[in-house]
Amino acid sequence: MQQRPADGLGSINAAFSGPKPIFILSMNKLFRISALSALVLAATFSHGAAAQEGPGLGHSGGKAAMCIGCHGIPGYKMAYPQVYHVPLIAGQNPKYIENALKAYQSGERKHPTMRSIASSLSDKDIAELAAYYGGDAK
Amino acid sequence: MMKSAIALIGAAVAMAAAPASAAGDVERGKAKSAACAACHAVGGDWNKPLQPEYPKLAGQHADYLATALTSYKQGDKSLIGRKNAIMAGQAAALSAQEIQDLAAYFSSLPGPLHVKR
Repeated sequence: MQQRPADGLGSINAAFSGPKPIFILSMNKLFRISALSALVLAATFSHGAAAQEGPGLGHSGGKAAMCIGCHGIPGYKMAYPQVYHVPLIAGQNPKYIENALKAYQSGERKHPTMRSIASSLSDKDIAELAAYYGGDAK
Repeated sequence: MMKSAIALIGAAVAMAAAPASAAGDVERGKAKSAACAACHAVGGDWNKPLQPEYPKLAGQHADYLATALTSYKQGDKSLIGRKNAIMAGQAAALSAQEIQDLAAYFSSLPGPLHVKR
């Protein structure tokens, strides 16, 4: 019989000489469980990261991506139908932002570009955007 | 001759590009702002509106503020009009020059409004 080094590997290898099929089955189960845990952990982590960064920033498909093309550029001016600076929205009251977006949805505010953007937002999107831009946080 | 013609054209272009009313005056705007303060500035702080529904005005772009006030005044009659019972009443009383003055005053005040990506 071959001499095995006493480094612990020998005992693991020795385990395979036991009830092998059962051991492999349990390894398989163990793998599935750990893979599932990893998924849950990853989901939890990415959710936490998204909450910190705001809706969609750093993530494609985020609703704030529609805002930054105009409101994220210092000094950006609207060219149609009149030329003027788009408003500063970060640091504004969240409730005001929410109401403004809903007023564009309903047509109480008529600005064509903002109407078209607001019409694509759900109530949840609006609440998230208001929270992201609103308040005193930098 | 050529130079004066160019200067004349330049002046005409500059006049055409200028807004209908003169640039806003901060002091005149401040003098006119008492009615606005009742809702937009609790205790004289223009970063503390009376209700969470009301916007902070301090440090906002002057040309945006003027456009917004004008859009409340115009209501349905403008492509970018706004319908708001309170603001329609307030803006109706303001001349184009008063709107420019108020916008200049609010814009001159320090506030937390900023650009965020």
